[in-house]
Amino acid sequence: MIPNKKENYDDINPLKKSFTKWFKNKWSNDPLFSILIALIIMVVLQTLTLGFDFNSFGEWFQAWTSNWINILRNNAGVGIVALGMTFVIMTGGIDLSVGSTLVVTGAFAMYLLDTGTQGILGMVGITGAPAILLTIVLVLAFGYALGALIGISITKGMVPPFIATLGAMMIFRSVTQHFTQGYNTTVPIEFLQISSFKIGNLMIMPIIYWAIIAAILYYVSKRTTFGRQIIAVGSNERAAKLSGVNVNKVKLRVYALMGLLVSIAAIIQVSRIGSMDFSNAGRGMEMDAIAAAVVGGTNMLGGRGYILGTVYGMLIIAVMNNLLNLFGVPPFLREAFKGVIVIVAVLLQRKEKTA
Amino acid sequence: MKIEMNTIRKSFGSNDVLKDVTFSVQGGEICALLGENGAGKSTLMNILGGVVRMDSGSILIDDKEVQFETPVDSLEAGIAFIHQELNLINDLPVYENMFLGREIKRKRGILDLEQMYDKTVEIFERMNVKLDPNTMVRDLDASYKQIVEICRAMMMNASIIIMDEPTTSLTETEIERVFAMMRTLQENNVGIIFISHKLNEVKEICNRYIVLRDGILVSTGNVSDVTNKDLASYMVGFDVRTESLRRNNIQEKDKEVLRVERLTDNCHFKDIHFSIHAGEIVGITGLLGDGRSELFQAIFGANSYESGKIFLEGKEVTIKDTYHAIQEGIAYLPRNRKENAIIKDMNIIENASIVTWPMFSNRGIINTTRHEQLFNEQQEALRIKMDKMTDNITSLSGGNQQKVVLSKWLAANPKVLILDNPTQGVDVGAKEDIYDIILKLAEENIAIIVLSSEAQEIIRVCDRALVMYHGVIKGEVRDEMMNEQIIMSLATGGELGEEKGVYQQ
Repeated sequence: MIPNKKENYDDINPLKKSFTKWFKNKWSNDPLFSILIALIIMVVLQTLTLGFDFNSFGEWFQAWTSNWINILRNNAGVGIVALGMTFVIMTGGIDLSVGSTLVVTGAFAMYLLDTGTQGILGMVGITGAPAILLTIVLVLAFGYALGALIGISITKGMVPPFIATLGAMMIFRSVTQHFTQGYNTTVPIEFLQISSFKIGNLMIMPIIYWAIIAAILYYVSKRTTFGRQIIAVGSNERAAKLSGVNVNKVKLRVYALMGLLVSIAAIIQVSRIGSMDFSNAGRGMEMDAIAAAVVGGTNMLGGRGYILGTVYGMLIIAVMNNLLNLFGVPPFLREAFKGVIVIVAVLLQRKEKTA
Repeated sequence: MKIEMNTIRKSFGSNDVLKDVTFSVQGGEICALLGENGAGKSTLMNILGGVVRMDSGSILIDDKEVQFETPVDSLEAGIAFIHQELNLINDLPVYENMFLGREIKRKRGILDLEQMYDKTVEIFERMNVKLDPNTMVRDLDASYKQIVEICRAMMMNASIIIMDEPTTSLTETEIERVFAMMRTLQENNVGIIFISHKLNEVKEICNRYIVLRDGILVSTGNVSDVTNKDLASYMVGFDVRTESLRRNNIQEKDKEVLRVERLTDNCHFKDIHFSIHAGEIVGITGLLGDGRSELFQAIFGANSYESGKIFLEGKEVTIKDTYHAIQEGIAYLPRNRKENAIIKDMNIIENASIVTWPMFSNRGIINTTRHEQLFNEQQEALRIKMDKMTDNITSLSGGNQQKVVLSKWLAANPKVLILDNPTQGVDVGAKEDIYDIILKLAEENIAIIVLSSEAQEIIRVCDRALVMYHGVIKGEVRDEMMNEQIIMSLATGGELGEEKGVYQQ
């Protein structure tokens, strides 16, 4: 028998053989591997685009990191929302209301804190640090409650998630816009520290929040009853129910968690800018969050989903936005690129499954 | 017409599914195709139906070699394949379904509904079918759906019809209706390949049989020359145990575990009374639509009931939901494993531990070690054949999947174990394993309820049986009264007199 040339070559190169074997194995067994590779390609592209036209390595490194911090900070809010969206989609649902929940909780925060004549906490005599702490607690509770309300209409009311959250999307924004007409609130400077506090001269607080929440939710999805029950509910609701899973409770908690995460994003946004444009803030946020989850491997039909994948997905979309910006692509065209990326991501996943 | 398949070979990857299978069918014959799951039946039929292409071999129709590239080629050659999942559109009337994909059109693409209607009437008359072509398909029962599919095949001038387990979801009378149709086809010189697991049906309707095992044709001949036992042993490759497993000397059990009084819901069951003791194996049987699944799902908290009382160990309980039922010690292994029990996005160990996650967890954090330990023990006790715990559940065979599902319930330490069609879609070997497990669990003083439509199964393993008919318990049988005739008679609504061993409710 004449040995195949290629096989022979692989035999005398065990290192190469084991690498290709490892790679092939990873590629077909680890659903996040292809996404990670896509992310690495994006990062390399982004690095190349930045160029090496600097005097020293230190200067280049500084430019590179500051570019990265910008990307991450700008996307921390959506990134956090996308994590919640992953859970929602994993149960087989969807949440279109996140952008509107963002403005309603944002407006609530600003009215609690306002240093002018409208401040609710100021009127009852709470100021300074207690006011800020209380605001955080109340805003988070408010977000959680709104999410739970949506969850109840979906579980007890049996309204399909698409309809329930579409309704909530319209209601929340419209009500906020009506009640905030003509008012101008100002937020105390201390509150801005939530986002703008500097660590070693770097404004990275939003990134840290995002990282911490991602780490917690990763653990929740992998190791807790709640996290695994989400998969069961999304994969086979009937089987989950017949295995003693309280399907309604799981769904309710998922939507409430979504509301809570949106209110965190709202606090981050208000504390970064000091204000909020109630008619435009959060518009399209639901689509960005869904896109990040889908690019990250979450199955729109429920069941399969990865917190880590969503982080990768968000980063891919964020880096691409940044690249389009650096390349000078006209703003109106950028959405088209995003759309292409999402469709390509799903196309690739299809192939993976049938292979 | 005569079809011959010669030395058909097919492999998927390294897995040889068919190894030189040769057989033939001709018009006017009903030929049973038998074999366990994975024996290669579907692959063989998919090759004949043009769905899958063979690696080597030949297909001859009336001694002329043919090539099937697509299902359309096969259909045009006169072979119709009626799949287990019927290809009918519920929202269209019968006569439009008859012409699905080959509608009769006038010029400019407008459907010629009148002509389609007339042709349907014509074919129904020819096939002796009494059915209004205007009926919506969703209003038909399962047997008439089969019949519509058969008529559609006949309209396309099929001379060989492949029927893939047509009777699985049919009731007794519906099966008779389909069989009558098959006999009409036979008289019209149409050949039928009948795939089924039910050997009694094979004996009733078929004249020839073919048995496949592991891709090899192991036996073929006339049905009249063999017994059911012969066929079963050809299928599994060894002599199948058929003796009764019923325990003889069961001492009167005194510890009542579950008692139900006057349980009624709106539509599925009414006025149900029964009581079950620790260590007993009680069968509940009846025909499709007898309400037994709905009844026990209500007891398990998955469905609601109108009125009535449930007592566990003498104490009245109101089951709020399924988790509550599990905490009270009730376990329910549902029927239709794929829809009701298997979570395909989770691996083996997760499917085996889903029930006990909340019980073993510490503040919501899953106790992985404990689940793994428990499952290791059960894997041995239940003889689950598998590779790694983290493999996907769908990589297991039906019987092993069922054992994994069973293991999740045993982990919860139930007092009452309700098994709804526990041997559905399970091969003969695993079936016997499951019976052994049931007997062993009864020895451990668990009260076991076996729901099954197979009277044979009930008779072999249960101590006594309750027979249901249209949502009521028609009677209880035990000892020598527990035989197929009496069970059938009760299940079809018959009343029994004062014979010994039969108690009327």
